[in-house]
Order: sequence, then structure tokens, then C-alpha cells
Amino acid sequence: MTHLSKGALVAVAASLLAGTAMAQETFVINSFGGAYEEAHRRLVIEPFEQMYNVEVEVVTAYSADALAQLRAQAENPQFDVIHFSGGQEVTAAAEGLLAPITPDQLSNYSQLYPFAVEGLEQGQGPVYSVAVLGLLSDGEAAPTSWNDLFSASNGEDVAIADITNTYGLLTLLMLNQVRGGTLDDIQPGLDAVTELLDNGAQILSSSPEFQQAFAQDATSLAAYAQDYAYTLQQAGLPIDFVQPAEGSPGIYITANVVAGRPNEELARAFVDLSISAAVQAGWAEALRYSPTNSTVELPVDLAGQVVYGDEAAANLVRFDPVVVNAQRSDWTDDWNRAIAQ
Amino acid sequence: MPHSLRPAERGAGAFGESILLIGPGAALLIGAFLFPVGQILVLSIVPPEEGLSIWTNFARFFEDDYYLRVAWRTFRLSVIITLVTAMIGFPLAYVVARTPRVVGYTLLLLTVLPLMTSVVVRTFGWIIALGRGGPVADLLSLAGLGARDATLLHTETGIVIAMVQVLLPFMTLTTLGVISTIHPHLEEASRTMGAGFYRTLRHVVLPLSVPGLVSGSLLVFALSISSFVTPNLVGGVRLPVMAGAIYQQATSTLDWNFAAAQSTLLLAAVLGLLIPYLALTRRRHG
Repeated sequence: MTHLSKGALVAVAASLLAGTAMAQETFVINSFGGAYEEAHRRLVIEPFEQMYNVEVEVVTAYSADALAQLRAQAENPQFDVIHFSGGQEVTAAAEGLLAPITPDQLSNYSQLYPFAVEGLEQGQGPVYSVAVLGLLSDGEAAPTSWNDLFSASNGEDVAIADITNTYGLLTLLMLNQVRGGTLDDIQPGLDAVTELLDNGAQILSSSPEFQQAFAQDATSLAAYAQDYAYTLQQAGLPIDFVQPAEGSPGIYITANVVAGRPNEELARAFVDLSISAAVQAGWAEALRYSPTNSTVELPVDLAGQVVYGDEAAANLVRFDPVVVNAQRSDWTDDWNRAIAQ
Repeated sequence: MPHSLRPAERGAGAFGESILLIGPGAALLIGAFLFPVGQILVLSIVPPEEGLSIWTNFARFFEDDYYLRVAWRTFRLSVIITLVTAMIGFPLAYVVARTPRVVGYTLLLLTVLPLMTSVVVRTFGWIIALGRGGPVADLLSLAGLGARDATLLHTETGIVIAMVQVLLPFMTLTTLGVISTIHPHLEEASRTMGAGFYRTLRHVVLPLSVPGLVSGSLLVFALSISSFVTPNLVGGVRLPVMAGAIYQQATSTLDWNFAAAQSTLLLAAVLGLLIPYLALTRRRHG
């Protein structure tokens, strides 16, 4: 009997080893699920697989989860390329989880707007898409300003995102700025959110919850993203997107090379493909993400539905990602206390 | 026992067999449970700054009104969920045990069927059902019980409803296991002696079902105190529970030591219930 149990042990050990050996051969990235991941596969992943004859494994993980996984795997990283939409690349680079990229390693480097490559010196990856935060309205209200959130005829019809969602964090910072606050003092922003909640506003965590709320008429005005407004339109909902007069913060989506993986060169090739004009035009067409590549050319009707061109791109509100990352944890705590019932 | 082996033979063979049988389970338990839990225990006593006491993370929890409120909500809701589940699960298990097989199995299938779908899908169903403008609000307003705008979404009542649905199979199956061992003759005897149906249920079936109800309750309580997806989605961010708070600290604020301390407290709460129960049942059975 003992030789049998030894055999079993060997079998278990062998299968474990086989598992790790296989994991090293595949190329692993994260994506954000749903329609995003579908477009991601079509625009980047599948062409990349054909160009480099490699199999890409996609793990669905939002930015916060992706960073948590990356940190947990610091000793033995399991991702080759990691995408962030919430500024997590600042933390990841500072903790040495990312492999720095130099301009000469990206053939498309010179085509990118300066803001898209600012982070390279700090060891972060380039920005390959921008999502724009603004107001989504079902047509009953015609908002023009962030202040319209407070004057909605029915306060219960207003929805904003939770701070763990990047759009929620940016809503807080934008309301804070509109109310005269600064990144050193977000109390005006927290007060604004409390005021919205006192009016009956809802806080939602994820994109599908916004879709459900609009579909069931539980919401008619929400602070959320331009690309998601398009997703809702595709789902048959009569949603308009408005960039308020005070400006719109951008959500900067980055592609980063993970440190300590066997194939960094291949990972850089993936990033390079992600920032190419063709791929970025594809993102704009598929999901209305704004390009960061200055050579992208879009037809007129499409150009009106994204932030397009040097001037428009320069007008996006960007909160200092270094400060935001340093403060995020404290702000989350303040936010939780402000909203808890 | 004519077919049993002689003690010596059984000893030698049984040892190898036991190792073989217990091996995969033990490997999984050690690798996937004991090791990570050990890591969490270690993380939880690492203070945020060097030189501070190993209890710093725990003290922070108990000194903060916010976390205590979160813990109280978690505990209170878990107790309510367990009670409601027991009140629905016991009669259901009894009916399943005492009706003809076809009816019983159909009922059982209907109870267990939700386990076949992902918890996220099920919970999202509740979001639609309970939300403003959803069918539950429509029904309530038709019955004149509330405005059409009324919603159970983002309320504690909503959390309880959704959690009871998720956890009912655990209570029903555990109780059913015990009720099916109660011989129907006992009930027949009770009825012959003049007790009515409810009296028989109350004085014969219920007392004999207690072991099943207790283990079912423990299971449901342990699952609901640590549940995360359903309270987070149905309750929303304004009604945080402990598992959700821990998740947020692990993924969003990246305060792993504090998250580990909270996990340890949650584990201690569950063990605090389980250990007395195990001690009690051991005394009773052996």
C-alpha cells in the first residue's frame, strides 16, 4: 500500500510541475470583461497571436483587482502585460512590479500625445486609450454643468459611481473642484456627495448596475463614462452623453510590462501594438474610447463622439496621478464614512 | 462481523488505505486553506509601523466606531438570515421527507436548482427584481403597499431576502438528512395517543430534528457572516458588511495588514461558534 501512496504523491507533484511549466509558455494579460474584452480580443489580442505565433491567456480583472493580484504574485509574477484604468500603474511602478519601457523600444512612441507617455520615465506603461467622464442623461434632463446633478427635479433619479470604481473617484474629485476644493482638501467634494445622497441619489459600483438602473427607469441622470453611454445606446437605451461646461476628467488606460517575466520583449511588442494608430482607431469605432495617438484619423460623425484632436485632448481635466495615488487610500476611508448608512 | 479482517491485517492495510484516502483532501486543506490562513494570521499581527504592538491592527478595529458598526450589521444580519432560513427550511425539509417521492424530489430539486447557477447571476436577478421599477415594486404598488418607486434594493431587507434564497438549500438538506432518519412510527404513535398534527410536529419531530437544525444553522451562519457578493450587490456600498470591507481593503486601499486582522476576527467569530458545537456533539455521541 505504501508504494501506492508514494505513486499518488509523485503523480500529484508531477501534475503540479506540469502546471507551472505550461503557465510559463503562455502569454498572460488582463482585460476588463464584457464588450471591452470582446473588442480587446478582436483589435489587439487575436492579431498579436497571429503576428507572433503565441497563445494569449486573458484573465478578466478590473484595475484594483489586477493590482492586488500583481502584488500578491510579486515573487512569482503570472502576468506579462497588465492594463490599468485607475492610475494603478503609479503604485505598481513605484513598487517595482513593472518593467520600465524606453522610448526607443516602442516604434509608435513618437506618434503619441505627450500626456500619454509622461509616465514612461517613472517606469509606467503608455496610455493607449482615454475614457471621458461626463453626464449621462436619458433625455428628460438636458444637463450642461456638473451642478445639474444637484438641481435634478427628482434627486432619487441621480446615480454616481462608488469610489472603488475609477469613475466614482473622478466624480468626487470633479465635484470637489467645482465646489472650490483642491487635491489637498477634498471636503467640499465629500460635502457635495453627501448633499446628493440626502437628495436621494444612489451610489452604484459597476457598469452593469448603471445599465440596469437606466433600463428600469430607476435613474435618469448619472455621472459616468462616454464609452459606456455608447454601450447603453447600443443596448437600445436613449442615453445622451454631455461634457459639462466645467470640463471632463479623463480616465487614462495604460498597458504595462510586468517585471520579472521571461518574455519582456514580447510584452513590449504587445504594448507597441496597443498604441498603434490602427488599434486606437478601432477602439474609437468599437466602443468610443478616445485615442492618444495623434495620427489616428476618424470620420466626422465618429470624431464628434470621442475626444479627438490635439486641442480637445489638451482640454481634458487630469488630476495629478501621483497625488491621487498617494491619497486614494485615505480618500476611500473618508468616502466610506461619509456614505455609510 | 464474519467478513471483517483480523485486527493485525486490518491495521497494516488500513494505514496505507487511510493515507491514500485522506491524502488529496489533506493536501488541499493544507495547501489551499491552512497555508493561506497562516499567512493571514502572520499579516494580521504585523503592525503598520515598526515598534508598535502586534495588536495594533486589532485595536484599530475595536477603537473605530465605523468598523464596529460594520461588524454589528454583519452579525445582526447573519442572525436574522439564519433564523429566517431555519423557519422556512424546517417545514420544507419535513414536507420533502414525508410526501411521496416524486413530490418530495421535485421540491428538493427546486430548492437546490439555484445552486447550479453562479451566485453573481442569481444576485443580479435580485437586483432587477428588487430595484426601483422592478417586479417586486410593481407588485407592492398593485397591492397598495407602497409607491411604484419603492425599492428593496440597497436595503437590509433586500440583503436578507437574497441571502435566504442563496442559503436555503444548505439548511433544507442538512435538516432533511436528520428528519428522514426519524421513523414515521413515532409520529403515528403520537397521533394515536391523541396529539394533533402541529402538536406532533412541535413535540416529536422538532426536538428530534434539533441536531440537523443546529448544524444547518451553523453552516448558514458561517456562510452568511462571511458572504460578500450578495450583500455587496444587493445591499450596495452604503450598507457595508465585514467581508466587503475586507475585500475593499485588500484590493482598493491595499491595507493588507488591517484586512488580515479583520479576516482573523471573522474567522475567530465563526470558530467561536463551531468549537462549542463540536464539543457539545462529541459529548452527546461518544
